[in-house]
Amino acid sequence: MQLSRLSIKLSSAFALGSLVLAACATPPATPAPTQPPAAPPAQGGTTQQTGEWSLAKAAEPYRGTSIKCVFLDRPGYRAAIQLLPEFESITGIDVQWETMPYENSREKQVLDFTGQTGNYDCILIDVVWIGEFASSGWVVPLEKFYKDPALADPKLNLEGFFPILLESFGTWNGVIYGLPFDNYSGVLFYNRCMLEEAGFKEPPKTWQELKDVYGPALTKDGKYAFALQSRRGETQSADSFMRMIWPFGGSLLDENFEPNLSSEKSLAGLRFRQELMKYMPPDIVEWDHDETVQALAQGKVAMITEWSAFNAYFTDPTTSKITDCIGYAVEPAGPAGPKPALGGFSLGVSAFSSPEKQAATWLFIQWITSEEKAKDYIRAGGVSGRMSAYEDEELRKQYPYFEPLVVSWKEYGNPIFRPRFPEWPAISELIAQTGTEMMLGRISVEEGAKLLDQQIREILDKAGYYSGKKPKLQ
Amino acid sequence: MLRRVNWPAVALITPAVIALLAVGIYPLLFVLDVSLRQYQLTKPYLGTDYVGLQNYLSVLNDGLFWGSLGRTALFFLLAVPAEVVLGTLIALFVDGTRCRLCSAVLRVMLVLPIAMTPTVTGLIGRLLFNRDFGLVNYLLSLVGVEPIAWLGEPEPAMITIALMDIWQWTPFVALVMLSGLALVPQDVRESGHLDAGYGWHFFRNIQMPYLLPGLTAVLILRTVDILKLFDMVFVLTRGGPGVSTELVSVYIQRVGFRIFDMGVASAQAILLLVLCIVLSRAYVRFFYRQIEA
Repeated sequence: MQLSRLSIKLSSAFALGSLVLAACATPPATPAPTQPPAAPPAQGGTTQQTGEWSLAKAAEPYRGTSIKCVFLDRPGYRAAIQLLPEFESITGIDVQWETMPYENSREKQVLDFTGQTGNYDCILIDVVWIGEFASSGWVVPLEKFYKDPALADPKLNLEGFFPILLESFGTWNGVIYGLPFDNYSGVLFYNRCMLEEAGFKEPPKTWQELKDVYGPALTKDGKYAFALQSRRGETQSADSFMRMIWPFGGSLLDENFEPNLSSEKSLAGLRFRQELMKYMPPDIVEWDHDETVQALAQGKVAMITEWSAFNAYFTDPTTSKITDCIGYAVEPAGPAGPKPALGGFSLGVSAFSSPEKQAATWLFIQWITSEEKAKDYIRAGGVSGRMSAYEDEELRKQYPYFEPLVVSWKEYGNPIFRPRFPEWPAISELIAQTGTEMMLGRISVEEGAKLLDQQIREILDKAGYYSGKKPKLQ
Repeated sequence: MLRRVNWPAVALITPAVIALLAVGIYPLLFVLDVSLRQYQLTKPYLGTDYVGLQNYLSVLNDGLFWGSLGRTALFFLLAVPAEVVLGTLIALFVDGTRCRLCSAVLRVMLVLPIAMTPTVTGLIGRLLFNRDFGLVNYLLSLVGVEPIAWLGEPEPAMITIALMDIWQWTPFVALVMLSGLALVPQDVRESGHLDAGYGWHFFRNIQMPYLLPGLTAVLILRTVDILKLFDMVFVLTRGGPGVSTELVSVYIQRVGFRIFDMGVASAQAILLLVLCIVLSRAYVRFFYRQIEA
């Protein structure tokens, strides 16, 4: 078994290197287990049961263990890196991390899982990967750890997370696989000074108002009223395409799990996006998060709807010219009300790590997402998923974006803003392609929606949702 | 009569042969095997049974694959002729200059773009061709040209990736051509000047025959390179806007590492390999005939 795995891994590595056609190497064939490996031994359990639980005591059996996390180059991860030395000094656990671009993070982790190489212990789970990772048995159900008195901090308090975050990023089919770590809601960031100069005392409350009133007034002299990041990839499918469908009452799938993009309400959202492009930079289909955030920070654009996690760019004078002008609001409402984008990542434990590494990883995840560290995490630039942190008056004053963020999570959050089933990545690819072609006018909104409906149905049918082989979970 | 085995030679060659088998032949056979199977990496429950030529049929019936191949051909036609012409002109200049220092400096400078990783080339391209902050639009604005959305419109995006490729690979062509020019014997060169002067006739009749083997190598290498070109394009445009710069390697990467359908991706790779071999044979046959003529 070991030999065959090794040979398969070698084959895939060499295939990449030697075949001239570089992009299509073939990683290992070893099927992922349907069940994760057995739970790690509750080392040190008896000691903890006799005395009061402490992180140092719980970590004693794992002192010297080294674990590796998957991180992105975003503020929440830089915040965690700042806090890491404290965890390492308490526990003696060495936490390594690999920072990678978002675009490669799923690919790298999936190859690690399917190769059963166990390179990564602390797994980064995007809201749209939870279904794939959990149903494939690549991440461990966390009850294995939080039900173990030796490993579970009595102050863990899972109910202390915003329910929508724990449900969306952390839970699949009623089982918790990850704890919310890098948490996003879409927020309307705006340049208050630009709005005031144009005679507006407050940001738009509806998308219609943004387009009809703010758009013409703020688009002039080479500056634009609004920018909607729409680069091909998850940015197009999630940040642009889905963001416009929900507020207009549309959805990807209807109540019968049938594709719904050709419905009048979905089409209304997509047509609106085309009209709104008049007030966006002309090359908006090539704008990713970076370009969009920079455009607002440099005063080229008056408003953007971006993830809350990017706030640190606007308040730091080294990256922003609008530190005194930045304003925050809930994303504008459509005919169906405000439907802010929901996104973010939880941290989970790899099913392919050794029991010791799994336990050490759990201790790290539990610590970095704890209520105790939430305020430090926020001060270092992260966005915590803990409700208690947002009740702190001092922090609320220091971080005015808390208000729209908390309102979005508590009142308007949509856990299926993007479906979380394993087929989403394939669907996302199709939306990314046709969505940008719609924006470029190469295909009409109606034809594009029809085409996508057909393609999505085909994918879901092939996966077995309509034949009853798979439960209709989003 | 049996010939004596030259054991020292066998011992010296064996490691290289083993390495070649391990990194060249075995992976190729492995990919060939995978291309004949159902092989969806993220759906292990489907199994990895042999499906015959089904993956190949699905590739041949896939409009997106043919579309990406067409765009790759267009990219080749935009980039490679420009690289050959510019590279040859640079080589002729460096070969003909009497300033030895200039020649030495130019040769070093020619290596720099080639040494740059494609990812960095893509990042430089994103900065140069940025609509609002890019150097290219700034320079154009000095002569009154309105800002161009280089990366945001389909046709300019294709031109942008071709320009970046030309920037990176023209020096390579120049160096290859320069080595060809260095092969022209001094006496041939001198008598050529007497017969044909210094202009077009000298180039056509004396220098060009020495450039053709290099040109063949350039065409083979650039064809292979362009068929596998991924990093620079992915960083620069990610295949967009829409599918306008989705070259065949970007598409294969999407099938292989986004959708994780390794069976189909491997079939695509094998078909590209066949295409590479056919084109390489055609180049050799055509251009070597030219030399003989």
